[in-house]
Amino acid sequence: MASRFWTQGGDSDTEEEEEENSEYDGSDAEQPAGDNSGAAAGSRYLRGQASDSDDSDGQHRVVKSARDKRFDEMAATVDQMKNAMKINDWVSLQESFEKINKQLEKVVRVTESVKVPNLYIKALVMLEDFLAQALANKDAKKKMSSSNAKALNSMKQKLKKNNKQYEEIIAKYREMPESEDDGTADEDEESDSEVEEDPSKIVMSDEENEDDDDDDEDGHDEATEGDGVWERKMSKKDKLMDKQFMKDPSEITWDIVNQKLKEIVAARGKKGTGRVEQVEQLTFLTRVAKTPAQKLEILFSVISSQFDINPSLLGHMPINVWKKCVGNMLLALDILEQYPNIVVDDTVEPEENETQKGADHNGTIRVWGNLVAFLDRLDSEFFKSLQCIDPYTREYVERLRDEPLFFVIAQNVQDYLERIGDFKASSKVALRRLELIYYKPQEVYDAMRKLAEQTGTEDGLGNGDESEKNLSMEENRGPPVFVSIPELVPRKPTFSESSRALVDALVSLIYSYGDERTKARAMLCDIYHHAIFDEFSIARDLLLMSHLQDGIQLMDISSQILFNRVMAQLGLCAFRAGLIQEAHGCLFELYQGGRVKELLAQGFSQNRYHEKTPEQEKAERRRQMPYHMHINLELLEATHLISAMLLEVPNMAATAYDPKRKPISKTFRRLLEVSERQTFMGPPESVRDHVMAATRALSKGDYQKAFDVISSLEIWKLLRNCDSILQMVKSKIKEEALRTYLFAFASCYDSLSLEQLTSMFDLSKAHAHSIVSKMMVMEELQASWDQPTKCLVFHNLEQTRLQSLLFQMADKLVILAENNERAFEVRTGGGLEGLPPKRREGQDYTAYGANRWQDNSASGVSQGRQGSGYGGRLGYNGRTGGSAQAGAGSRGAGGHYGSMGRTSYRATAMRASQVEGFAGMVNLSRAGRI
Amino acid sequence: MANHDLTSRIAPQLDRHLVFPLLEFLQERELYPNDEILKAKIQLLSHTNMVDYAMDIHKALYHTEDVPQAMVDRRVEVVSRLKSLEESAAPLISFLQDANLVQELRPDRQYNIQMLHDRFQIGADQIEALYQYAKFQFECGNYSGAADYLYQYRALCTNSERSLSALWGKLAAEILMQNWDVALEELNRLKEIIDSKSFSSPLNQLQNRIWLMHWSLFIFFNHENGRNSIIDLFFQDRYLNAIQTNAHHLLRYLATAVIVNKRRRNMLKELVKVIQQEQHCYKDPITELLESLYVNYDFDEAQKKLKECEQVILNDPFLGKRVGDSNFATVPLRDEFLENTRLFIFETYCRIHRCIDISVLAEKLNLNMTYDESLAWITNLIRNSKLEAKIDAALGTVTMPVVHQNVHEQIIESMKNLNTRTYLLAKNIVEPAQVAQASR
Repeated sequence: MASRFWTQGGDSDTEEEEEENSEYDGSDAEQPAGDNSGAAAGSRYLRGQASDSDDSDGQHRVVKSARDKRFDEMAATVDQMKNAMKINDWVSLQESFEKINKQLEKVVRVTESVKVPNLYIKALVMLEDFLAQALANKDAKKKMSSSNAKALNSMKQKLKKNNKQYEEIIAKYREMPESEDDGTADEDEESDSEVEEDPSKIVMSDEENEDDDDDDEDGHDEATEGDGVWERKMSKKDKLMDKQFMKDPSEITWDIVNQKLKEIVAARGKKGTGRVEQVEQLTFLTRVAKTPAQKLEILFSVISSQFDINPSLLGHMPINVWKKCVGNMLLALDILEQYPNIVVDDTVEPEENETQKGADHNGTIRVWGNLVAFLDRLDSEFFKSLQCIDPYTREYVERLRDEPLFFVIAQNVQDYLERIGDFKASSKVALRRLELIYYKPQEVYDAMRKLAEQTGTEDGLGNGDESEKNLSMEENRGPPVFVSIPELVPRKPTFSESSRALVDALVSLIYSYGDERTKARAMLCDIYHHAIFDEFSIARDLLLMSHLQDGIQLMDISSQILFNRVMAQLGLCAFRAGLIQEAHGCLFELYQGGRVKELLAQGFSQNRYHEKTPEQEKAERRRQMPYHMHINLELLEATHLISAMLLEVPNMAATAYDPKRKPISKTFRRLLEVSERQTFMGPPESVRDHVMAATRALSKGDYQKAFDVISSLEIWKLLRNCDSILQMVKSKIKEEALRTYLFAFASCYDSLSLEQLTSMFDLSKAHAHSIVSKMMVMEELQASWDQPTKCLVFHNLEQTRLQSLLFQMADKLVILAENNERAFEVRTGGGLEGLPPKRREGQDYTAYGANRWQDNSASGVSQGRQGSGYGGRLGYNGRTGGSAQAGAGSRGAGGHYGSMGRTSYRATAMRASQVEGFAGMVNLSRAGRI
Repeated sequence: MANHDLTSRIAPQLDRHLVFPLLEFLQERELYPNDEILKAKIQLLSHTNMVDYAMDIHKALYHTEDVPQAMVDRRVEVVSRLKSLEESAAPLISFLQDANLVQELRPDRQYNIQMLHDRFQIGADQIEALYQYAKFQFECGNYSGAADYLYQYRALCTNSERSLSALWGKLAAEILMQNWDVALEELNRLKEIIDSKSFSSPLNQLQNRIWLMHWSLFIFFNHENGRNSIIDLFFQDRYLNAIQTNAHHLLRYLATAVIVNKRRRNMLKELVKVIQQEQHCYKDPITELLESLYVNYDFDEAQKKLKECEQVILNDPFLGKRVGDSNFATVPLRDEFLENTRLFIFETYCRIHRCIDISVLAEKLNLNMTYDESLAWITNLIRNSKLEAKIDAALGTVTMPVVHQNVHEQIIESMKNLNTRTYLLAKNIVEPAQVAQASR
């Protein structure tokens, strides 16, 4: 472009240069203000760099100073290098490198300065980076031809030597790369990503980039000059447009505006169309729109082009643009509010002159547009910006403060949609709103409400001022607004007193009108919200009634993440309510694969065995939750491990010599094994260490020490009512310590008085009695009470070695017989009567297990979350689950299964096989433990 | 004791007319001020056609002879409407009253309608009028008439929706006439329809099930075989789901039925589980009793709850039904309940104890007996071989022998059926082979 600029301009006019610079400033805010002349000169050429490499390099400049000539040569060389890099041609790269070094000498001679031109430094940096990249890429290196590889190696050495001279400057440059370079690099990237996104678009723009700049000017003379510099033309055109429209407001007709709009819209997406400028142009047009409908149409274009400003999938829309976009949306809503006969529609292509109909036109006017899509985009941009911004900065907080702004717009859109009776769309909007509040506890919600009220008043003024200022500024430049729209829709969000009420309202709207996905997501949000508010039973019932866990794998990944978050939150909620079993049930699957971060989209987990492709990584990055929505992972881990400990320690004690019984939490067992293998136990540091230390104490029955270790965890401070929760944890630990003690040391006692037990474990008599009685009934403990003396009398049923071996042999024989029967069954197809149904279940369980191990990373996010299993209560169907479990427990399973869904079946089978070790009373007692 | 009263939760699920027996019962128990109940009754009647009755109550409530003008007007309106409905339904009714003509009706509904239309000029309008008339009769409190008409209507009706509501009406009428056998039949018929019919929405179906369960309470606690049926019905998955979703209070009746029914002890486990699941939304002394007994093994608590249960049962319109003369009334259900609960407690208690002091036992069981009496009670149990125990008279204790299966027995037990299984297997393999050989 620079070259063309020169052709056109003839000589280097400082004024124009400045203008150009300022132009650049406009688009690229980071341009350092005071570059010295050398840098300025450099930068001028750098712009040359920015031009596409396929621009003809061979063009000869007409008049040039020697200095410029040298620079131009250098720039050409850099271009060559770039080309070489593209095709990975190290031989030519090496040549270019030598050439540029020679040129450098010349340049330095010409300019008579000690300073090395920036262009050169930039080339060096570029080379260095490319080299590093090439070296890192071993595969590609192997594939290289021998000459190429040789060139690469020599290049490496040369560059190293060469760069030593400029070390300082390079470092400086790297530290603060000039914005322009950044900009160009970015632009490259962006256009790259554009290529990925939309090949058709790029093809189109390739074809048309020759004339795209001109076709929007009505026969303007600049067209003759060939491709001009867009920026410059812009300013000229602006003036021209003003001229055109300034003439006389009355002379501006609908047609002119319409035509102009079409031109601008046609230029959209083409290469070389400045996105920012387009927005400005369109914004200007909104003021000269003749009819409200037209204004609306233009506004929609403005909004769309505002979305276009950031084409990359990874980056986010600039925040100020986002805010302006919100303003435009509000304006659009104002229009819609004032002229109820205007209908927004994106299904039918409106007639050509639909928007010509004035405000007084009665009958509907159709305008093409989709409010919900705009809103969706706004929301996702907001989300993305929060993803990108570093959460520890002030910027993040500032950004969060914009949330009420989005709320306003969402609320207004929803109101509007409800007014026109489009409940389907309004339910979508409601979901967007819901997803902004579902994770907020009441305190945060209150804070937001307060903020909204504050900023509502402030913003009302502030925004008003600002917009007035803007307006007045624009007013100076352009004609007065033709169609003025008063602010009709409220600019302040209204929040109900409790977040529950708001959630209820939104959710009920969605339940009645939303589509399946919207409903499912709303349900998940609802459950999450209930869980935050410590309403475990309601949340659980909702989850089970909705049968969401059955179908969650089939849903999109973001919903699966939401589901995982819900399960995590549900687990925390259960824990707070003292429902250890449920808490463990909710959480253990999250921790099974050690990928909890990934499952909750709160970070990346490294997988040793599986490298991720860049696409996967990118996709994962896009899924990340913004920081303020995170669930505290330490708290989650502590909750999980403590629940596992409370369940597992007595289980281990009870089954110490019984290899048949399965561990409740394999994850926990593994961790315990790891920690036991350590030769030296340091004081606990991480959450895991703490729990392991507590486990060691607990397995000895030392409840006090176990509790001390647990309570020394930092995370308890995060809980609202941490005292009562600690109290709960303490009493649970006492209970489990008692149980563990009895399991472990029953064989050492002949009798044990209740009083001794109560004093040992600091429990009330009734409580201890109840626990021990329960163990007796469940036949976990071979003992009975002696009521008059209040003693526990143990019936020691020690098995001799021979006897226990005999039992094992008997078990094996039973298995042998079963295997025989099964083999026979397979062979003949017919069953033998008298085959215990238990086996079938076992088979099913293994099948389930096999299923689980096949998980690949794509479906991995949700993998195996199904059947989060609380003792068989799965779904309302889960009642069946319950009864089936009862059956399984007492070894009479069967008939119930037929009616159940596959998932709950599996889960039940799983639970059942977990439980089956216990004797008949198990279910009752399981229930008892709950 | 009004805090465990479920009337307010049950009433919305019932027909207006079915609430009357409940209110009568409450009036009798004097749980609430009489005036309140009378007012409730008037309110209840305001949407029925039993205006005379409403007037009576009004007089009793305000101790006046005057009745509000609204009621008088309503009476006039009701009478005139009755007349007009009677007229429009007259042809069909006269036809139906003639036994000879009714003989001509056949099981084929289409034929009947055709015949009525051809020979008696009775069309769809008259049939519809019959329904309206029957409904009106029901609202006037003439249940037997309504039941008859509805029965006949159902024979002629083609609209399934209408037929369903006619069935509900019939059921209500039969319940109110206390024809338990017929009512049970109707109930089963209705249940079939509800379960089979593809209802417009699952929600609707759920609602119908809940109604059905509530209405069935009248029948089950009065019909002789009701206690079995209630367990059968309520434990069906779909109905248990309905209870857990929207009618938790029905757990009380289910629990009571299970406790009282000696033969359905196996349901207890499941019941306890359900109670556990729903304990956050519903609890009353009866469910709490089961919980303390089978979940927490807290016998003191159970004993306390047992006392409360007695009151609850006495105050419950369905459970506290009195039998006997006016001066010596007993509540049979209560007695059974207490007896069974005692057994439960005793059983569980024995299970975890080796040695129990009899006097303590008597106290735990809430037996207001002397030492000797409770001794006799226990002896009785032992004699009936319900309990394996010995009484140590000198110490005043009951001693349970610790029975443990011998290790040898256990091993033999676990291997016992291996023999037969292997034999069976061998036979199954060998036999076809032999057959094959023989045939060769």
